[in-house]
Amino acid sequence: MIGLLLCLPAALILGVGFVWPVVLLARISFNRTTDMGAMEEAWTLDTYARIVTDDFTWDLAWNTITLSAGCAAAAVALALPVTLLIRNAPPRWRGLMALMAVAPLLVSGTARIVGWMAILGDQGMVNALLTGLGITSDPLRLINNLTGVRIGLTESLMPYCCLVLIAGLGRLDSRLEEAAATLGATRSRTFLRVTLPLAFPALLAAFLLAFVLGVSAFITPRLMGGGRVFVVATEIFDLALETVDWPAAAAMAMLLLGTLIAAMVLRGVLTARKVAG
Amino acid sequence: MSHLGLERLTRRFPGTATPAVDGISLDLPQGALLALLGPSGCGKTTTLRMIAGLEAPDGGRILVAGRDVTALPPHRRNMGVVFQSYALFPHLTAARNVAFGLEMRGVPRAERGPRVARALELVGLEALAQRKPRQLSGGQQQRVALARALAPQPDLLLLDEPLSALDAKLREEVRDEIRAVQQRLGTTTVFVTHDQTEALAMADLVAVMNQGRIEQLATPEEVFERPATRFVATFVGRAAILGAEVVGEGMLRAGGATLLAAETPRPGKAEIFIRPHHIRPLAGDVMAENVLPGRVLRRVYTGDIITLDCETAAGNLLAEVAGGSPGAALQPGQEVRLGFAAADLRVFPA
Amino acid sequence: MRPGWFLRAAAFCGYALLLAPALLVCVISFSAGDFLNFPPPGFSLRWYVALLDNAQLMTALRNSALLALCVAALALAAGMPAAYAIARLEFPGRTAMAGFLAAPLLLPTLVLGLALLLALQPARLAATWPGLLLAHAMVAVPFAVRIMTTAFGAVPKDLEEAAWTLGASRFRAALRVTLPLAAPGALAAGALCFLISFDETVISLFLVGPRLTTLPVEMFRYAESRTDPLVAALAMTLIVVALAIVLLVERLVGFTRAVGRN
Repeated sequence: MIGLLLCLPAALILGVGFVWPVVLLARISFNRTTDMGAMEEAWTLDTYARIVTDDFTWDLAWNTITLSAGCAAAAVALALPVTLLIRNAPPRWRGLMALMAVAPLLVSGTARIVGWMAILGDQGMVNALLTGLGITSDPLRLINNLTGVRIGLTESLMPYCCLVLIAGLGRLDSRLEEAAATLGATRSRTFLRVTLPLAFPALLAAFLLAFVLGVSAFITPRLMGGGRVFVVATEIFDLALETVDWPAAAAMAMLLLGTLIAAMVLRGVLTARKVAG
Repeated sequence: MSHLGLERLTRRFPGTATPAVDGISLDLPQGALLALLGPSGCGKTTTLRMIAGLEAPDGGRILVAGRDVTALPPHRRNMGVVFQSYALFPHLTAARNVAFGLEMRGVPRAERGPRVARALELVGLEALAQRKPRQLSGGQQQRVALARALAPQPDLLLLDEPLSALDAKLREEVRDEIRAVQQRLGTTTVFVTHDQTEALAMADLVAVMNQGRIEQLATPEEVFERPATRFVATFVGRAAILGAEVVGEGMLRAGGATLLAAETPRPGKAEIFIRPHHIRPLAGDVMAENVLPGRVLRRVYTGDIITLDCETAAGNLLAEVAGGSPGAALQPGQEVRLGFAAADLRVFPA
Repeated sequence: MRPGWFLRAAAFCGYALLLAPALLVCVISFSAGDFLNFPPPGFSLRWYVALLDNAQLMTALRNSALLALCVAALALAAGMPAAYAIARLEFPGRTAMAGFLAAPLLLPTLVLGLALLLALQPARLAATWPGLLLAHAMVAVPFAVRIMTTAFGAVPKDLEEAAWTLGASRFRAALRVTLPLAAPGALAAGALCFLISFDETVISLFLVGPRLTTLPVEMFRYAESRTDPLVAALAMTLIVVALAIVLLVERLVGFTRAVGRN
């Protein structure tokens, strides 16, 4: 009983700051928007119907899913060598290397995007290098478009993948790889036949986490896309604050949540099967 | 008069079929040291934790000096506990660790200093009072834990495997020290151990526990020489167990030989057991109350004692002989006559 | 097994991608030029000076720092007792409570921000101190609870039991033994909560207004509209704060452990 009492302050903060708003969000998604743009109390699926029948929604959904799936895959592919290197590093260096891989998590997303602007902008580092070497005459458009969003999103998902992979690969016995090597396997065959299959559950977990985070990412698509790339997250933001169509914003947020929950359930099923098998 | 009394104390952990402690009762006189001896999982630590108030019994009572403390929380029981891990507070110096119990009991600051000094002196650590636990060796930590438990002058001192974390040489030293301190202060003490040597060397009374019950509660000599059950016989000390049949009052048959015993159960199948040091290889035509002919299988030399593993018609027997005694020269393969007294033969119904 | 050249090269690319933005922010923030171009035409501190002279950003910085301090204090005050209960006490619904107190971490901040907007706007709490405090505390509390649960769990239980047998009540034992030993964890939790609030952008974007705004929101808006090195100087400030806190947390409890999801 004392235990519950001790949890009360924290539970209260979450009750008021989390449960109540989310319940309200769900409730508002069943409201109606009048032709004048005002919100009307109701219990209707009109808003959902309006969203689902709009082709633009499906474009958005497709853009969002392909974007985040691609970036999640790229992030996992880039995080894997980083974590393998960390795992094989001398213990003295391991902590620092892991810290460097994971620390970007806590560097403000906006700050990192400012860095990307300096790298990918028309007068940024990459274009300076390319024109300086005479490879291109006109600067490549690497920012304020989908390319920029892809690069930025991949980078912002990588630390999460590293985190999952460091935890997942840490449990793998590196002697298995040494055993494969003593059995005559080359480096690449050891990687393909031993490391990769063993790491697969961790890779899958990292991918799904990155995918879920990518689907709901807002800052990167907004800033790197320069207002020209539209995904579900930017649309929800605009509906809430530009159009001020709260029922639509709420309904789209609910649909996003539904998708994410489905992805998480899928992840649960996949990992559970892995354990059972 | 009884200082600590346990009455049908029972503890059942949720989700387990058999109780961890199954209705044990005992009385311990003022100033005595009781060893709870048994294999791991026998319920000895659970019993100790119930006495300390760290575990709530499902049934039974705990009495200290006639007062029922069963329902009291640990901090109202006035008991000193030495934990297996010592549980020294790592953020406090040795002196502050020892002072903790005094402070919690509201002993005035002026009085605390001298009492802490006395407690540390008792364990010979006055010079290390300002060290943090991690700056102390295992043996020193052990002593601080003892001083901390004793400083508030507890009604009862409880020790949970206090020596298990020490290496063998230190263990004996600290063991004797604990016993000396306990006797000097006259604190009634309960001591949990799985090490029979420890129990026999330190205790006034030994309770041999198995599967939540006390198999025997007696003095160390009694437990060792006259084990009450087969479990006690095999758990405490080494012993050979032979199959036999009780044929009459004080008479058994084993491997074709007739043996005499001081006490026997009702006629029928039985198991007999004899301590190795009670078995003597007999020279020439020397006679004994019981004689079993046999042959030496193995000879293990461990300095002052030589153990002979002998084969007889009744089964294998261990005999311990002192170096330089008649049997010491026996070699594997030699014939031998093994003699032992009727009083040293223990018989249990099979 | 020693890593091969291919693994080394691939890992180098990965690290380059991870660290390049922060490094470039650092370089450009000292630029003497007028744009985010590379290489900078020269180096100067002019954009840091400009930052200090920018009253709007300085107000936002003050707001953010103050807010983050309050959030850290509130999250610790609320999270610590809950973490102690979850780590140490048996009570009905303990597992459910632990799950509930971690729940906000499962939802995207975008959805949380929208939900808070819909809840706080009608209550006239949007763009107010209490509103922002509630919103940030809601995100910070789960972190505080998680780090503190680990910290309390790492203190051996028998230390507390030893304190009980020495005459300390449950409350005094927790206060005198467990709490001091979990202090590094508490400090780390406080620092992380501070950082979470100080860097929080998405939820704040929904909740700020002309009356009250925070530094990350101002930076976001600035980066949206203009691209001069002032924003790099601003970003650098945030990175330095984050770095300091990451190093502090690493020293205290190990960073990967603190933010890890398992």
